[in-house]
Amino acid sequence: MNDPAPLPPPGKLPEEPFAIAGVDGSPLRLEELVDRRALAEMITSFEHLFGVPIRVLTAAGKTLAGNETFSPLCGLVNEQPAGEHACADVLDVVKHLDFTAAPISATVPTGVHRCFTGAQYRVIPLEYDRRLIGRILLGPYLLLKKDGSAGDPPRTLAALSPELGGERARSLWTGLPSADADTIEQLGRHIATVLDVILFSGHKALLTSQMHLASVRESYRELCEKNERLEEAYERLKELDRLKSNFLATVSHELRTPLTSIMGYGEMLAEGVAGELNEEQREFVETIRTKSEQLLGLIMSLLDLSKLESGTVAVRMARLPIATVLADTITTLTPTALKKGVALEIDAAPELPPILGDAERLRQVFLNLADNALKFTPAGGKVSLVARTAFEQSEGEPGLILVAPLRQVVEVRVADTGIGIAEAERSKVFDPFYQIDQSSTREYGGAGLGLAIVKRLVEAHQGNIHVEANEPHGAVFVVQLPAARPTMHPPAAKRTLPPILG
Amino acid sequence: MQLDFSAREVTVKLVYYGPALSGKTTNLVSLHGLAGEGARGRLMTLETQDDRTLFFDLLPLTFRAKDGDVSLRIKLFTVPGQPIHAATRRLVLQGADGVALIADSRVSETQHNAEAFFDLRQNLGTNGLTLGKMPLVIQFNKRDLADIRSEAELEELARRGKEPVYLAVATKGTGVVETFMGLLHLTWETLERTHQLSKKLSIDGDMLLAYVAKELGVSTPVEELLARRVGGAAKARS
Repeated sequence: MNDPAPLPPPGKLPEEPFAIAGVDGSPLRLEELVDRRALAEMITSFEHLFGVPIRVLTAAGKTLAGNETFSPLCGLVNEQPAGEHACADVLDVVKHLDFTAAPISATVPTGVHRCFTGAQYRVIPLEYDRRLIGRILLGPYLLLKKDGSAGDPPRTLAALSPELGGERARSLWTGLPSADADTIEQLGRHIATVLDVILFSGHKALLTSQMHLASVRESYRELCEKNERLEEAYERLKELDRLKSNFLATVSHELRTPLTSIMGYGEMLAEGVAGELNEEQREFVETIRTKSEQLLGLIMSLLDLSKLESGTVAVRMARLPIATVLADTITTLTPTALKKGVALEIDAAPELPPILGDAERLRQVFLNLADNALKFTPAGGKVSLVARTAFEQSEGEPGLILVAPLRQVVEVRVADTGIGIAEAERSKVFDPFYQIDQSSTREYGGAGLGLAIVKRLVEAHQGNIHVEANEPHGAVFVVQLPAARPTMHPPAAKRTLPPILG
Repeated sequence: MQLDFSAREVTVKLVYYGPALSGKTTNLVSLHGLAGEGARGRLMTLETQDDRTLFFDLLPLTFRAKDGDVSLRIKLFTVPGQPIHAATRRLVLQGADGVALIADSRVSETQHNAEAFFDLRQNLGTNGLTLGKMPLVIQFNKRDLADIRSEAELEELARRGKEPVYLAVATKGTGVVETFMGLLHLTWETLERTHQLSKKLSIDGDMLLAYVAKELGVSTPVEELLARRVGGAAKARS
């Protein structure tokens, strides 16, 4: 039996229940919704445009994007131990600024924090889904007054160390980025709006991908469940099929035993072992004998079929010329053809490539087909067996030139000039016990097993069989068998056959 | 339902269920239009080219009652109606606190409405929930179309049924708030009984509902909104 590919193991339910971030589970986090590199590019571009340092921080105060390097003045500040300490304190405050707290002084609005250098920071809350998700940090920058001047360095700077009160510090101080209050507010609002859109898109993409993944997993689980049920049903059917084949084999065997006795005694009667028979008695006995032989033939076919189905028939592959097989067939059937007045022709060139097959089984195939053809061809008709090389139908297939040589087949066409087979019936004739109509059984005999067996045997040779019409009337059974390639080694000597009802 | 004591915040998930093209998304669009700037979030729609919901729509609404002391966060979801999206519907339904079944009023859609309901029942069952315990309201949408099931018929059936039933024309915004408030009311009552929300948050449920209605721009008293159902008991199930 050719077992189908093993089914995948039944899926397990997703371990964790499906959670949509920010909806069913934990609150959303900024770092999950944005691409850090892309965000950094955007922030850098804004910095170039406005000349003010910009940073985007997570709710926890971690920098997600923006320039972390110090301006020359801040660098100088941080070279001094006292300056470094003071700078760290300022950064700690601005990175964790609490927007709900009251402003520190009446002159400094919420969100603005002054540094001891005289520069300042502007912190803008970043909200998503009405929750604080991060901060936008602008600065340090010098706030330009209405007259466009930045004023002088405050005493708090010089107070930290003598060096910071010096000329160098003063020149670095004037080089600090600067902006007026309106520009800063505009910039802050603009970045917040753009980020909001980015966060929404990010959230949407996150949800979509999560949902997609969850749906796929859920569908997979459903499929696995279905597969499991199908596999169970399949196993049950396979078992039933096996039981049926066994039953058929046993019954056929049991039928054959008494039939052998009937035939034996019939023969003895005909030979006059039990006394001379008169004309009428001899005729009756003769009828008993021919009908018994028919019955035996039928039982043998049944046995063959059940063996084929249970996979106990071995096919012994060998390289052999098709012409020999066909010649054997003709020899066997010539007497029948002569008696019926039907011409029997063979056309098989000896230079045809050999095929790989079991000579005995192939003889059975062509004998069956040719016998059928004779049966359905009226006197004066013709039955022909023609062998040719061909290629499997693969017109226009990619790489045809490479693949085609491997697909060379020997095609045998068994054609008759009989009643023919209607197109609708052509595929069904290979089903076991199928008869085109019951009247033909009465006229021509047979149990409808021959072609089923032929098909199994052809398929066991990796070949195929189909029926075509023979113009103007009659049918052609076309058998294609793969040609043995020069380098091809015969496969394992014993092959099991696929089941008929597989 | 999620309850955050420290933030004094409760999050509920409401799902708009129903057959394909019955107007679930339109209900959300309409609510989004009604809600004030302070309450509504962005309406997120995941649609295919032909305007059909692919995974779900999501409308977050946030109501800060008692001067911002208590937050009621509502996540409104729709499910994709087409049969092929069964897995997605099941996923969206997970953790739902209440369901509004949006039915198409047309006589020709009767079968699809019933199928959507059976689908809901089955999916709730798969998620370990029972329909009998899930706050459920039913909306008969598209009342402005021809060949619809008559009001008399729906009223008669609604009286015999258990769920509050609302009539709507979602494209015009009619009946949308009623359905939403009916569902929220039923959901709150159920959560109240299981989690004693009003005690934990020290907030009066009726007051909260009134606040929500106000934020949706409706001046009609909540009682009156709820009474606009065509039948059924607007009481939570036991």
